[in-house]
Amino acid sequence: MNFGRRDVLRAGALLLPLAAAVSCTEQEEPPPPDPLAALAAQARADAATASAVAEAVPALADRAKAVADARGEHAAALQKEVDRARPPASSTKAAPPAQTSPPKGAAAARKSLLDALTAAEQAAAKVVPSVERYRAGLVGSVAAGCASLREVLA
Amino acid sequence: MRHLVQPSSGGKKLAADSVDAVQSALGAEHAALWVYGLVSAFLPDAFNAAVAEGTTAHRARRDATERLLADSGQTPRPAEPAYVPPQPVKDQKSALAVLVVAEADTTVGWRAVLERTDDANLRRTALEALTVAAVRATRWRRAAGEVPATPAFPGQPAK
Repeated sequence: MNFGRRDVLRAGALLLPLAAAVSCTEQEEPPPPDPLAALAAQARADAATASAVAEAVPALADRAKAVADARGEHAAALQKEVDRARPPASSTKAAPPAQTSPPKGAAAARKSLLDALTAAEQAAAKVVPSVERYRAGLVGSVAAGCASLREVLA
Repeated sequence: MRHLVQPSSGGKKLAADSVDAVQSALGAEHAALWVYGLVSAFLPDAFNAAVAEGTTAHRARRDATERLLADSGQTPRPAEPAYVPPQPVKDQKSALAVLVVAEADTTVGWRAVLERTDDANLRRTALEALTVAAVRATRWRRAAGEVPATPAFPGQPAK
């Protein structure tokens, strides 16, 4: 009954050099994407949506403008950190977010902003536990900012 | 089964370099509780529910933070006997203003914890505390008619 475990260990020992050999051939793999890059893109898209809402829906103009301003600041700070950590080639400017047409009507527009802020808060909160310390502060403030912006729209 | 008594936090000790930040966050919770006790006399009944909610939340956070420190062999920093508000509290306007300050100070305290720990669980706790304080600060700023009702980066110390 007790041979299985030892055999597994032996098999594992045989696999180790193989695994090392395989990883050597993968050195050309690009590094994994910076998790803050996705948060920055989300912030840029939210800022664009909120700006469009502010223009299209007078009843929400002030509050949507507040969301647009804050999400624009989030995008800038997150992108700055992404670029600092991994300086971009001069040609790879962040793509501007696609033009979005905001939902017609105050209620639908408000809901679309609230949903976007909830998604952004959750995405940031997911990143906070595992990033470097100074990034945890920045991303934590972005998450708390998104929650607060929902309160602005309440 | 080496340990007969498990500490309530699950036995995870605070790293030494996180302790000061957690003690400061605890200090902000103490101060916020004191402020919530102070303001109720200056606010109309319409604010009772919000004051009660804030009081309950800060008390729970204070207790949990004291346990966290005690479980790590640290003496939780006690509350001061009294605090000096940045401006005298004498009416609704000044009461709302000091609530905003108390919540904003709390966000600064917990964001600082985020930047001084690698422990994922403590980061989650700190983010939760930062977020709920930021939302309450926003609520009080709105009640006071302050614009903007939230900074873009709650908890980021003023530069």
